[in-house]
Amino acid sequence: MINFEEELSNFKPSLEIEEAEDLIKNQNLDDMSDILIRLMKEAENGGNQRGRT
Amino acid sequence: MICYKCQSVLGEGDHCQVCGEYVGLYKKVVSLSNVYYNDGLEKASVRNLSGAVISLQQSIMLYKNNIAARNLLGLVYYEMGEVVAALTQWVISKNLETENNPADEFMNELRMSPTRLDALSQNMKKYNVALKYCRDGSLDVAVIQLKKVLSSNPRFLAAHQLLALLYMNSGSYSKAEKELNKALAIDNGNTLTRRYLAETSKMLSPGSVDDSLAPAPDRQEDVREYVSGNETIIEPVASRQRGTGVSILGISIGILLGLFTALFLILPQRIEKINLEANKKIAEFSEEAGSRSAQLLDKDHEIEGLNADIEKLQAEIDSYEGTDETVESMSQLLAAGRAYITDPADFENIGAHLDKVNVSEEESDSPDEQTAFYRALLEVCGVGLGDYYYRSGYEALENQEYDKAIADLARSVKYDSTNTAALYFLGSSYYESGELDEARKIYDQVMNEFPDTRYANNAETRIAEINNLGD
Repeated sequence: MINFEEELSNFKPSLEIEEAEDLIKNQNLDDMSDILIRLMKEAENGGNQRGRT
Repeated sequence: MICYKCQSVLGEGDHCQVCGEYVGLYKKVVSLSNVYYNDGLEKASVRNLSGAVISLQQSIMLYKNNIAARNLLGLVYYEMGEVVAALTQWVISKNLETENNPADEFMNELRMSPTRLDALSQNMKKYNVALKYCRDGSLDVAVIQLKKVLSSNPRFLAAHQLLALLYMNSGSYSKAEKELNKALAIDNGNTLTRRYLAETSKMLSPGSVDDSLAPAPDRQEDVREYVSGNETIIEPVASRQRGTGVSILGISIGILLGLFTALFLILPQRIEKINLEANKKIAEFSEEAGSRSAQLLDKDHEIEGLNADIEKLQAEIDSYEGTDETVESMSQLLAAGRAYITDPADFENIGAHLDKVNVSEEESDSPDEQTAFYRALLEVCGVGLGDYYYRSGYEALENQEYDKAIADLARSVKYDSTNTAALYFLGSSYYESGELDEARKIYDQVMNEFPDTRYANNAETRIAEINNLGD
């Protein structure tokens, strides 16, 4: 049996056109490839430092 | 595929042929993003939009520059009625890839039709309002609002689902099923839609009749049963069919009966009550008018009497010869009478004439006409004249105008011999002006004529002072 109140709470308000600008600005565009590149650079820098010492 | 470091095209190996950067893992991540994109595309092509969204989101999460995945995600959102989410993806896509980007075309289609964009914006607002109505408990209004939203944008998935939920809550499972089938036609992979459909199917399972279906042929023609909530309701068909007409007829008869009741029972009583009140008021006014008329009549009689006296005296004057002083006195008396008739409160004028009247102060059993008229006039205006001259004399006494005070207060006493205060202050005027003998005489008069009054006590004190001064 479906609980009306519980189901209703799952419905979220739809985004309005006026909110689009804020939504776009606040988008986090970091993806897996960015994280991977960052990790690789950190690993490379860490290796270089060990090499110097 | 482009090298993330030097932006050159990558070859087969795990290292960039231009900069030598290790790109093995990077290539794997980008490949995985493409795998997800392909999966999303396949799902979208069979209208499994929810599944397509998940796959495409994974795709751009792995590799944000997967323009095809981002654009397709925008399209899927648009198809589900989520316009803002669609626009967001297309704008980001355009920013990541400015040239030859299909996102341009998608956004232009919206930009070219401002009314369409405005209608979509209004739709979303209405949907949000409907959701708020649901949360506030105004479910009927929410249903109306959602129907408006769906008539404007039939592909709004969330609106279909919400409307179906409202129908299920009110027991209208067949209507809910219709909405859910429409939602399924938009997105056949949506788990929420499928779950609600399962629920409606369970409620509309064989053995119960839906509220919108016609009765089965093997049932009786005149009864119909349907499920509402947890109950099975059985009702005759004919009553519902006849219901509307009978209701209207009943209401009309009721209105007519009410009108007749008001016209023949309530209205006459109200009218009678109003008439009684009006009659009572008329009687009150008549009574008051009657008493006023009687007063006016009395005044008229009084005026007639005085006029008759005036005429008589005028005739008497005409018969006098060589008695200037008497004629003058009579003229003044008549003038005083006329002044009183014109304005009974014009004591200044009346007094001015009466002062010049020369009558005998002696009491007589048969006074002459002049004296009789004088005394009659004093009877009606003597007290008023006395009061008038008393106030004038008292004011003069306060202003230390003793001559005027003596004159006016003497007149006051002359016209109204019962005015104790006038007599006393006449004595005070003489006292203040230095005429102590006259003052003593007046104070004696006060004590003799008005004993046991405070003025008599004051007069006695004053006499004692005068006596001391004399000593």
